[in-house]
Amino acid sequence: MSTEQDSAGMSRRQLIRHGAWFGAAVVLTVAGGEVISHVAGSSGAAQPARPALRFAQISDSHIGFKGPANTNVADTFTHAIGQVNSLGYTPDFVIHTGDLTHLATPDQFDQVKQMLTGLNTPHVFTVPGEHDSTDDAGQKYRQAFGAGTQGDGWYSFDVGGVHLIGLVNTLSFSTAGGGHLGNDQLDFVQKDVAGLSSDTPIIVFSHIPLFAMYPAWGWGTDDAAQALSYLKRFSSVTCLNGHVHQLFTKTEGNVTFYSATTTAYPLPAPGQGPAPKPVTLPAGKLHDALGIREVSYIKGQQALALKDQKLT
Amino acid sequence: MNITSLALRIALGASLAVSGVIHAYLYIHGYRDIPAVGPAFLVQGSVFCALAVLILAGGPAWMQLVGAIGAMGSLVAFALSRTVGLLGFTETGWQPSPYAVLTVAAEVLTLLLVGTAALRARPRASKASVRQ
Repeated sequence: MSTEQDSAGMSRRQLIRHGAWFGAAVVLTVAGGEVISHVAGSSGAAQPARPALRFAQISDSHIGFKGPANTNVADTFTHAIGQVNSLGYTPDFVIHTGDLTHLATPDQFDQVKQMLTGLNTPHVFTVPGEHDSTDDAGQKYRQAFGAGTQGDGWYSFDVGGVHLIGLVNTLSFSTAGGGHLGNDQLDFVQKDVAGLSSDTPIIVFSHIPLFAMYPAWGWGTDDAAQALSYLKRFSSVTCLNGHVHQLFTKTEGNVTFYSATTTAYPLPAPGQGPAPKPVTLPAGKLHDALGIREVSYIKGQQALALKDQKLT
Repeated sequence: MNITSLALRIALGASLAVSGVIHAYLYIHGYRDIPAVGPAFLVQGSVFCALAVLILAGGPAWMQLVGAIGAMGSLVAFALSRTVGLLGFTETGWQPSPYAVLTVAAEVLTLLLVGTAALRARPRASKASVRQ
């Protein structure tokens, strides 16, 4: 065998052979990736081009908050509204998953309601956060946003073949116990879905997570398991929440939970620090922690498509 | 190449292919919409399928090592997603079933097979160096 041995003991021929194997690995990997992407793309392309449902989620605007973590929450909320209006299509509706205001004063409710009228969408749906019901069990919230709701502000509606349920789990919120739905609301959920076929996609939105994201900080809902038990038979259940001011995803059986970020200020990751206090980021970094979310549903697909955007 | 080496090679190719194909399947059926984790599933599926083909075709030993490192990485990512979360993504137990348990089994098998192949190769390498 005629070889030119290098100092490491590998002949030129061996080097070329290993290089060829490496090249083949790269080529096959790229080709495989292309094929998988193509299959994934065509499985979506086989459906109608326009999703049956497209909406946006914004959360935790905390209008009225004053602090170094965000010295102008109205400005960042205005940015978020502008970003929703720049999606390139008109969302079927926009949901705000709570903590619209920081202290639930009439002025703050007036201001946030006025600002929400700037959204280019036919409908805006909201649920209250614990900041929206600090001193009156949500009465001022319901005066501003409770039209057409049941009980303490919960409701459901159908769009594009999808059944959506807005839940209120903040009225007896405590850091120790987290959110709570209560028997009346649980009965509502049970009756609300009783007549639906099991292949109806379900979207539940609430302020506090319906999963135990970090119970030590109240990032969970103590009786959510009961509500979710009524949804077990459905093939697609998606739960959207705010409250935690950060993106988080979790799957439990047929249910996928998505925590949204905020338009106001970030909170620490679960367990980082003694309490979930507003985090002040270095100058210029705040917008990276804030954002909006697009959600779309294409008929026949089990999972919803979510796309989170940082605030521009 | 003796029959044992060939069997090891075929088993390793199969275990990598199982893990790669399942990751690609999950990517196509929903995981592609999960930020960061979706693209990672695409890369894992493509790399593992490519390694499976090339190892079956007689690729060099370093490919088996790359497969083992990839399998270890996938197992660590799986463990993170069930505990502290992986880039904001968490899942519970063996969901999605039966894919989670199949991929974990395939990746553990990959590690065992690469370990066995390395142990078998070592005495031969020693003998070869003694002969020189």
